[in-house]
Amino acid sequence: MKIPGHAAATGASRRWQGEGPWAWLSAAAVALSLLMLGALLVLLATRGLGHFWPADLHQLRLADGQRLIGVPVETRQLPDDSGYERRYFTANRDHQGGIWTWVAEDAIEQDRTPNDLIVLQRGRWGAFFGRLVAVVTETERFGGDRAWQALRQRLDHLEELRQQSESLRRDHILPLIRQMERMKEHSRLSEQLTELEQQALTLQRAMTGTVLVLETADGKRFEQPLESVLDAWHPNSMGSVEKLAHWSRGVWQFLSEGPRDANAAGGVWPAIFGTVLMVMLMSLLVTPFGVLAAVYLNEVAHQGRLTRWVRIGVRNLAGVPSIVYGVFGLGVFVYGIGGSLDRLFYADTLPSPTFGTGGLLWASLTLALLTLPVVIVATEEGLARIPLHQREGALALGATHFETLTRVVLPMATPAMLTGVILAVARAAGEVAPLMLVGVAKLAPQVPVDGEFPFLHLERKFMHLGYHIYDAAFHSNDVQAALPLVYATALLLVLVILVLNLTAIFLRHYLRLRHGVPVRR
Amino acid sequence: MPEPVPFSSLHRHRQRRDRLATALITAGGVGVLLAVLAIGIFLVTGVLPLFLSDNGPSLTALWQPQANVDGVVEYRWLPESLKGGGIPQVNLLPLVWGTLEAALWALVLAIPLALGAAAHSSLFMSPRLRHRIRPTLELMEAMPSVVLGFIAGLVLGPWVERHLAETFTVIAALPLGILLVAGLRRCLPGAIRHWLSLRWAALWLIPCLAGSVIVALWGASYWENLWFDGDLRAWIEIHLGLDVQARNALILGLAMGFAVMPGIYALAEDALSDVPKELCEGAQAMGATRWQTLTKVMLPVALPGIFSAVMIGAGRAVGETMIVLMASGNTALMSANPLDGLRSLASSIAIELPEAVMGSSHYRLLLLAALALFIFTFVVNTLAEVVRSRLRQRLVRQRSMR
Amino acid sequence: MPMQQEGAAVVRGWGRCLLLQCRVAFHGMFVRRFSRLMQGLVLGLLGFLPPVSHAHDVLGNLNAVGSDTMAELMLRWGERLEQSHPGVRLQLQASGSASAPAALIAGTTLLGPMSRQMLPRERASFTERYGYPPTAITAGKDALLVVVNRHNPIESLSLRQLDAIFSDNRQCGGEEAIEQWQQLGQDEPPGRIHLYGRNRVSGTHAMFRRIALCGGYFRNKVNVFPGSAAVVSAVGSDPLGIGYAGLNHLTADVHVVAIGEPGQAVVPSRQTLRNNQYPMARHLLIYANLPPGGSLPPTEQAFLDLVLSPSGQEIVEELGFVTLSIPQLNLQRRQLGLPELGSKDDVR
Repeated sequence: MKIPGHAAATGASRRWQGEGPWAWLSAAAVALSLLMLGALLVLLATRGLGHFWPADLHQLRLADGQRLIGVPVETRQLPDDSGYERRYFTANRDHQGGIWTWVAEDAIEQDRTPNDLIVLQRGRWGAFFGRLVAVVTETERFGGDRAWQALRQRLDHLEELRQQSESLRRDHILPLIRQMERMKEHSRLSEQLTELEQQALTLQRAMTGTVLVLETADGKRFEQPLESVLDAWHPNSMGSVEKLAHWSRGVWQFLSEGPRDANAAGGVWPAIFGTVLMVMLMSLLVTPFGVLAAVYLNEVAHQGRLTRWVRIGVRNLAGVPSIVYGVFGLGVFVYGIGGSLDRLFYADTLPSPTFGTGGLLWASLTLALLTLPVVIVATEEGLARIPLHQREGALALGATHFETLTRVVLPMATPAMLTGVILAVARAAGEVAPLMLVGVAKLAPQVPVDGEFPFLHLERKFMHLGYHIYDAAFHSNDVQAALPLVYATALLLVLVILVLNLTAIFLRHYLRLRHGVPVRR
Repeated sequence: MPEPVPFSSLHRHRQRRDRLATALITAGGVGVLLAVLAIGIFLVTGVLPLFLSDNGPSLTALWQPQANVDGVVEYRWLPESLKGGGIPQVNLLPLVWGTLEAALWALVLAIPLALGAAAHSSLFMSPRLRHRIRPTLELMEAMPSVVLGFIAGLVLGPWVERHLAETFTVIAALPLGILLVAGLRRCLPGAIRHWLSLRWAALWLIPCLAGSVIVALWGASYWENLWFDGDLRAWIEIHLGLDVQARNALILGLAMGFAVMPGIYALAEDALSDVPKELCEGAQAMGATRWQTLTKVMLPVALPGIFSAVMIGAGRAVGETMIVLMASGNTALMSANPLDGLRSLASSIAIELPEAVMGSSHYRLLLLAALALFIFTFVVNTLAEVVRSRLRQRLVRQRSMR
Repeated sequence: MPMQQEGAAVVRGWGRCLLLQCRVAFHGMFVRRFSRLMQGLVLGLLGFLPPVSHAHDVLGNLNAVGSDTMAELMLRWGERLEQSHPGVRLQLQASGSASAPAALIAGTTLLGPMSRQMLPRERASFTERYGYPPTAITAGKDALLVVVNRHNPIESLSLRQLDAIFSDNRQCGGEEAIEQWQQLGQDEPPGRIHLYGRNRVSGTHAMFRRIALCGGYFRNKVNVFPGSAAVVSAVGSDPLGIGYAGLNHLTADVHVVAIGEPGQAVVPSRQTLRNNQYPMARHLLIYANLPPGGSLPPTEQAFLDLVLSPSGQEIVEELGFVTLSIPQLNLQRRQLGLPELGSKDDVR
């Protein structure tokens, strides 16, 4: 019996020194794994969350007289080893064609962070870096120090108008259109609609009129209509509290808004929604079947050679590559079942497919199949843990097998089932490859749930966090511009999966405590 | 069995319900199992027309190299040649090669890490730490592969391409650094040595590792300048004539090794801790060090279990899709150069299947690729499972004999 | 500028009200008492109509099915249309160019955005179904760029050189394969050419293959990425890289190579694309189901009106594509029966 802790103190440390280099290398293996995991999480967290922090704007003067305003992003060695170059995010795509500028470090003559630089977030052409010269309304011109205050005031007012206009559209106009589409005679409705449209246009007119006079780094002045400005801040003169507030607003927008600029900007709300909905549908499908199969294997089937082989087979299905499930889903669900459904029920819209193309339903089904072994194995483990005398006791009291099962065995195995389902959900939430074949979409402006009958549209394509990462990293217009959001999305996905897994781990721990020592098969 | 009369109808009802439920459960269970079998059946029926029809690519095209205009004989994967007339060049061999190469590099990283970690945690690690490490590594396994692929393909790949010398230095410096630390520890006074015990080494070695990484990064350019004219990549390309691609088998191996390592670790640790305690204690009583106990006593007993752990890891590495798709260049090459790109079966399916017309030769070729993956992983996993359950049974028998 | 547009919109609205006898939403109120013509004329003459009258017919769902390359563009147009006509809602299905012809033929949509031209087969089955061919509307121009790392000094490449660099079987007739940068007559960068390209399902891949490779096959050394942005980013970090991508993917990491024989090489620019000098240009198309002599329903008409107007073209430019010139726009507006643009509505 080893006595931990005592060995070194009692002079047995010589034996430890004698373990040789391999013992240390094996310890390093654990340490290295932990280091890699930690480094990955830290990388995701810093890059993903750091993006929302309002970084200081630098104003540079270069050796050739060029001036620019930007945020340094990364530094790289020049190919001929003559020094370093730095990538600056300089925004202003409408004025200089691109949003990045590479500057050789040697060429920088002056690098300052003046307090009067501002950042505008615009609905068109992306961000703007520069100076605010004046705010010009129809009646008045605010210059100098009053300009910033006037801008803030008007932005708040604009935000209010935007919300009004949005709610008018969402709560009144769109339902009316839906109603009109259903009804033939809609003279009364169209009258109403005209009125609403009038209101909306009035609101929109109220937004226009104010113009900002802005100055870019090279001193060029231009006018920017206020209505396309979404937000404005001056990072160099913000305190850390202000920055923190700005940061939390950024994070919230990321979580609650839809994507913009070909998934390179904006938020991931539809992707969160799609992931959660798909996973919920999947767990609705996988739980009953997984439990059924586990109960069959463990309680009903004759425990012979065949059952053992079947059990091995089921476990091995957990090792079958997910892409193979995707191929199966595409071939059987989408082309096979979906195609037949289309021919039978949606013949009028053919050749444009309804169910014969990837969609929410097929994705959930495919992932349910994929995670079935996880649920079966976990449930079986839970069932095997339940002592035989519990069942025998119930049977001895006159209960039938079915009653024993539902009243005694299944309640005791519930935590195990739950663990299995949570593990299945965690696996499904991170799985992307099969989804690419059976229904995930790059951009699905309409979420699969809305106010239209039948409210849940199983045939629609949906967005998914994992696929969003892949898509933004490869398909957006500019990988560099999309990177921060990819990091943030990756962090979000990892967090979701970590939380799910931690829940499963705690559940299992609880289960072990409740049923004593773990039983291994 | 005599029954009280008033209960008989209820009893019959209960019995009927019981039979019904059993039948339902059986039907459900068998149905699920059949659905699972259906995958194999679907793939086989999907692939068969490829071999039966006359207008598809000939079978030899799938594995024999073909020449191009320059007379360069190569293995090519060019599904567009199925449409354009001429001889179709759809060779599956480069894809199989790429799949196995990627899996191999993943295992090269994962096996030492996983087995080392398993050995350490079953022999030396403090039980308190051990109970924390296992779930932590489980979290590592749950890391979505799309995230790993993104990091490997878009962050690590380009970095390694620019800092090749640093990368190799880090790889070499890690074990050296650890041995150095272990050596230094012997020279320390007893109190500190006690504090830096092997039982907690997994934790206090982390900063040491990070330190050796930093030293390696700092020192790499020195010898790069000294021996390779300051640019290892150019040196390899010019003097060795090898391609150095940003997205290569090594990067892939690193990311996939990260993904498979925890699975192998968990199974290998299970196998080691299933070894009867008496054996180890006996060996240690005879004066063996713990490492000797491991190599001479535990390993031979647990070898089948460790083998099955590695097999399961290999199965996962072969089927990994997103990491290969994002972090390899998807170049269908057959080169043994670990700094060159590759293309795997799984990633080919993922990018090509959505646009392959259903029922076309291309579609069926991709089904064939899926079938190959299915069969490979199924065989490997079954083998592993059989070996593992044999081992279990043997150990149980031994235990019951005593 | 907004005032001008609004004014123009009002004038257009009144004009159409009189011409099209004001098939407007008001008709329900008066339809029992007046004929439509009378109503339009009387109300029009009395100046009774509110200035938004032009928007009345423009409401309801606007369906479009097609290209995912153009998804962002369509969404932005839809957003803009929703601003001027709050009663419109765009429903976009962006699952790829190939889905557009199918949906057009089936009649589930009247507009099909496509990043490639319709194949003869697709066009034929449309004509068979409706008796007239689909109308192609060019909404903007895109070009295939050949890009190299920003530190690479190379200025131009001929199509034949491109073929020798990328192709396995050199259908364009190059003499020898080009594998080193030195074979292009320059010292920098030293080493092999690293090739980057798209996966073969993309239109970009198909187009590069058709124009630069004369329909030949790519070398298996080409790194294949499932997105053009990834190609540009990979070339941007690889000093030895060369790749191709669409115009909207251009960043500061790479520099664009002019295409053509030395001395006559053409740099892709707004100018060279507009007058068709650049050899690797393509059109962003919207196919419409427009019967000859007829017109589209008002919502679709308003959408195309926006697309072919200065403010619609602004969005084209903002997303990195090349806009059409006024005569090009007017040519298409005539085809659709839209009023022509004046010369002062110039597009940037």
